[in-house]
Amino acid sequence: MPTCAPLHPAVPGIADLFDDANGTISPLIYSDPALYELELERVFARSWLMVAHEGHLPEPGNFFVSYMAEDPVIVVRQKDGSVKVLLNQCRHRGMKLCRTDAGKAAGFICSYHGWAYDLAGKLINVPLQKRSFQALDKSQWNVRQARVEIYKGFIFATWNADARPIAEYLGDAAYYLDCLLERSPAGYEPLGGVYKWRIPCNWKFAAEQFASDMYHGIFSHSSPQMAMKMDGPMPNVAEFEGGQFRSANGHGTGFYLTDLQWPVRVGQSGEHVPGFDPAAPLARVTERLGSDRARMTAQHMTVFPTFSMLSTFDTFRVWHPRGPDEIEVWAFAMVDKAAGEAEREQARLSVLRTFAPSGTWEQDDGENWVEIQRVLRGSEARKTILNAQMGMGEAKDVNPNFPGAIWNPYAEESARGFYAHWQKLMLDDRPVTPLTSAEARHAD
Amino acid sequence: MQTRPPLELFHAARGLDRIVQQAIEQFLFYEAALLDAHSLHEWFALLADDIRYVMPIRTTRSVRDDAQQYSGPRDLAYFDESKDSIGLRIRRLYTGSAWSEEPRSRTRHFVSNIRIAPLEISGEYEATSAFLLYRNRAESQTDLFAGERIDTLRCIDSPAGFELVQRRVLIDQSTLLANNISFFF
Repeated sequence: MPTCAPLHPAVPGIADLFDDANGTISPLIYSDPALYELELERVFARSWLMVAHEGHLPEPGNFFVSYMAEDPVIVVRQKDGSVKVLLNQCRHRGMKLCRTDAGKAAGFICSYHGWAYDLAGKLINVPLQKRSFQALDKSQWNVRQARVEIYKGFIFATWNADARPIAEYLGDAAYYLDCLLERSPAGYEPLGGVYKWRIPCNWKFAAEQFASDMYHGIFSHSSPQMAMKMDGPMPNVAEFEGGQFRSANGHGTGFYLTDLQWPVRVGQSGEHVPGFDPAAPLARVTERLGSDRARMTAQHMTVFPTFSMLSTFDTFRVWHPRGPDEIEVWAFAMVDKAAGEAEREQARLSVLRTFAPSGTWEQDDGENWVEIQRVLRGSEARKTILNAQMGMGEAKDVNPNFPGAIWNPYAEESARGFYAHWQKLMLDDRPVTPLTSAEARHAD
Repeated sequence: MQTRPPLELFHAARGLDRIVQQAIEQFLFYEAALLDAHSLHEWFALLADDIRYVMPIRTTRSVRDDAQQYSGPRDLAYFDESKDSIGLRIRRLYTGSAWSEEPRSRTRHFVSNIRIAPLEISGEYEATSAFLLYRNRAESQTDLFAGERIDTLRCIDSPAGFELVQRRVLIDQSTLLANNISFFF
């Protein structure tokens, strides 16, 4: 595998693919198959990947089938209430163990030869073992399992034995993630249903946009804003106050400060659910977080590499990579457990009508990324250096409520942080420390 | 997924007036033609004021859990629309900057396997049909969607003869094999 050396005599090495100081990107990072193979090892296998929310597995035996990059996994609630993440692969001939999306099980039986595993992935039965597998030590053939940590209900997993605990991995971005996840004293739960769809584009377009790109909202998403009917004058988003934050660990976020979260949700629903008071949720959050954090609007965020979210509509998603030029988006939505029926319905309608593959906002994102990816089939297009210089050199720590943030929502500060971290991981040629069988046993 | 046993539908269809059968089929074909011609204001006029237009998410479940394969009424869905929200979607498409449909997709709605049963409310019918929707856009993007639509139609005094009161779209995909849904089924 290439490291710092050029990928090909005619193309630059990884160190030249992104220039943090000058804010320039080589489009090869979005299109090169060799780089993608390296990403699976150096970016995805090293990182904590969000695989499910605890609300997807309410009871022991509940499972939710997910992915860690291209690797299929089963997220499963144990009898003691803990959660395991198992590689969805039988140890005999590698067959997919669980072939449904979700459900409840006592264990998993491979449909190929019938090897049976319990909920913890322990091999418990091998057909014809006495007759034909006499020397088999079943304890050596358990399903592989990833390391698991849960952060405020979100289940993260990694194959990296050296990965820092999730709180350290989130690091300076945890404060901003909490701005999204701590808005309700009751907490949040996922609405039923997960959207899954394919977009033929590189995963970094999607992940970077949610980390950093408030800018595209003005133009890409002008149509739902023009079509919306709102009480009072239409706000001018180009003049909104707000900030953007670049994490040292590749995460990124940005936000406006407005009182318009729920009026916009009502407007974007196309209807006001009877009995819902748009002022009520803001008052509740203000009491909890104070005015500045309660007013954070349309907070977009990516937890590196592929877990993204957007407040106001409370959509959460993972961009599972499927080769250099395709992603599978898995998106769901969260709702405040303290919300009454009317607020819950307004939340449900507003997110499904905006941030779904059929949504009035989401549709246009799919259009943009697909067209960029197509352009990158051209060899000249792949050599054309792209500009990511927006907001370079802006002062940080302007507003004490938002540590480390620059005071402009329209910048590419977080994008540069995202690519700088990507580059750092890609240049690190040390092998990822695999989880040992001892660690797997310890996890049992 | 069917709303009633096929045999019962078959008996209902045998008792159905052929003129009603033909009128409903022609309504469905007319409606499909309006969608393919992007005549969305005319299509909108065919919707009842109390329309509910729903397209649940579909998942892969074990046979035992078959009943759970569609998302429910309190869950997320591709569509869960009122007349007002469909109106918002159509207004968006006419802003000139709805990039997923600017330039427009080329679509063709194929509607077949139509089965009709009168409902208890006089003048209302349930029409179940299979659809195949072909979309081609930009240079070469091509998507194909198949599924079932379960419609409630109300006979009214209008040139089209009916209005659409309910539509439930059941798509035959769990992972949607397209970058978006920028059109109506």
